[in-house]
Amino acid sequence: MGAVSVEQKRRLQRQLVLLVPALLFGLLVSLQWRTQSERSELTVRYNAPLTDAASALQNEQNGLKAQLTDLRARLDEIQRNAGTQSGTAHELQTRIEELKARAGLTDRTGDGVVVQLDDSHATGVASKDLDKSICHSTDLTDIVNTAWRGGADAVAVNDERIVNSSSVYCVGSTIMVNGTLMSPPFSVAVIGPQNALLAAYDDPTQLSDIKQRRDVQGLGFTVRRASAIHVPAYSGALNIRYAQPR
Amino acid sequence: MRTNAGGIAAAVIALFLGLLAATQFRSQDVYSRSLQLETPSSLTTLVANLSERNNALREEIFDLRLRVESAQDAVASGKGTLSEGERQLTQLKVFTAQSAASGPGISVKIEGAFDERALSDLVNELRNAGAEAISVNEMRVGPRSYFTPAPSAIAVDGRSLRGPWMIRAIGSPEVIYVAMTRTGGIIGQFELIYARTRFSVSKESALDLPALATTLR
Repeated sequence: MGAVSVEQKRRLQRQLVLLVPALLFGLLVSLQWRTQSERSELTVRYNAPLTDAASALQNEQNGLKAQLTDLRARLDEIQRNAGTQSGTAHELQTRIEELKARAGLTDRTGDGVVVQLDDSHATGVASKDLDKSICHSTDLTDIVNTAWRGGADAVAVNDERIVNSSSVYCVGSTIMVNGTLMSPPFSVAVIGPQNALLAAYDDPTQLSDIKQRRDVQGLGFTVRRASAIHVPAYSGALNIRYAQPR
Repeated sequence: MRTNAGGIAAAVIALFLGLLAATQFRSQDVYSRSLQLETPSSLTTLVANLSERNNALREEIFDLRLRVESAQDAVASGKGTLSEGERQLTQLKVFTAQSAASGPGISVKIEGAFDERALSDLVNELRNAGAEAISVNEMRVGPRSYFTPAPSAIAVDGRSLRGPWMIRAIGSPEVIYVAMTRTGGIIGQFELIYARTRFSVSKESALDLPALATTLR
């Protein structure tokens, strides 16, 4: 009687040992399967034409920006030639060049810092923390904000110059800067006083969220000194239609 | 011996489980940002945003072509390009916030708790909606403006501004208003995060924004 009950207990124990992993196994398989099947239906039907449309529009935008840059250069040339003729025109031209540089419509090369931002490549980030392990548009606006605070002269995100009308826009997991589609890694080129810029980025009260995610979730975030950084001119529209100067 | 067999079975299952967990994590890790992975609704928003941008670019190209032609004509007829120069200067002065600006737009009044990061996000959102000139209280926001925390206030370009905050933006009132107040838009998000703060957005037919206080830094 006693022997039988011990044998039964053992069997029950063995069954229990298998039950828990089996349950987990089933859960995982179903999860994996569900995430795949949810993707398929709508995604397959509409994504191909939509991604094609987005790529085509991005290509068109590159062409339009090139045209705009070309027209700006032609207008500049006409005016520069006229500027050599009279004193007033020359003065006006000097003022225009000054404001153009200030607006970000000219290329710049100089010393400064380069900030790199990338999604975490660490494995084993808990799924509830997944959001913390990837780059967000607000990370980029925070990094740019810190650059200006550190006294930056010129800033570009993946070669898109940051000007007064620039915005970082996020749809789903795609980021747009100046209306240009981009994806990580992001390289933020900052021309300006190196020590002041480094001090601004090192300041523990600045970018504390990004720094914490770098330390815990492995988000890619580095700041380094760099010399002869090239920051391209803004090639987008100035888009002044409603505002009148006073 | 029997317990050993059970242990081996458990080990095999554990191994399998580990493998599965790993692939599950991996498939999240390679979370590629390629457009193929976006949902159709995100892609639709992206496409709309891109075509809007391209339209603005086309308009500016059209405008610039006319200006190049008239400047060429002016030079050919010996009149010089002063008027084109003046036009460019005024446009650049507005764009760089060096001149005061007026025009239609929207205002956002914020009464209650708010912080510098949220303000920076709001400015970003206004720019994205096509705002041409922005001010916070009586301070114009410029191309190099930055936002920092200040004791019971928000500092813009190092100058402390106390609430309630009034943010004004010149641009298309309809477009900016919708961008701010749409479902899931930035104001809706703020209302959830800052539950005790009052946000009032209104369309304005005439706004007067000052020039940037800190000239040429």
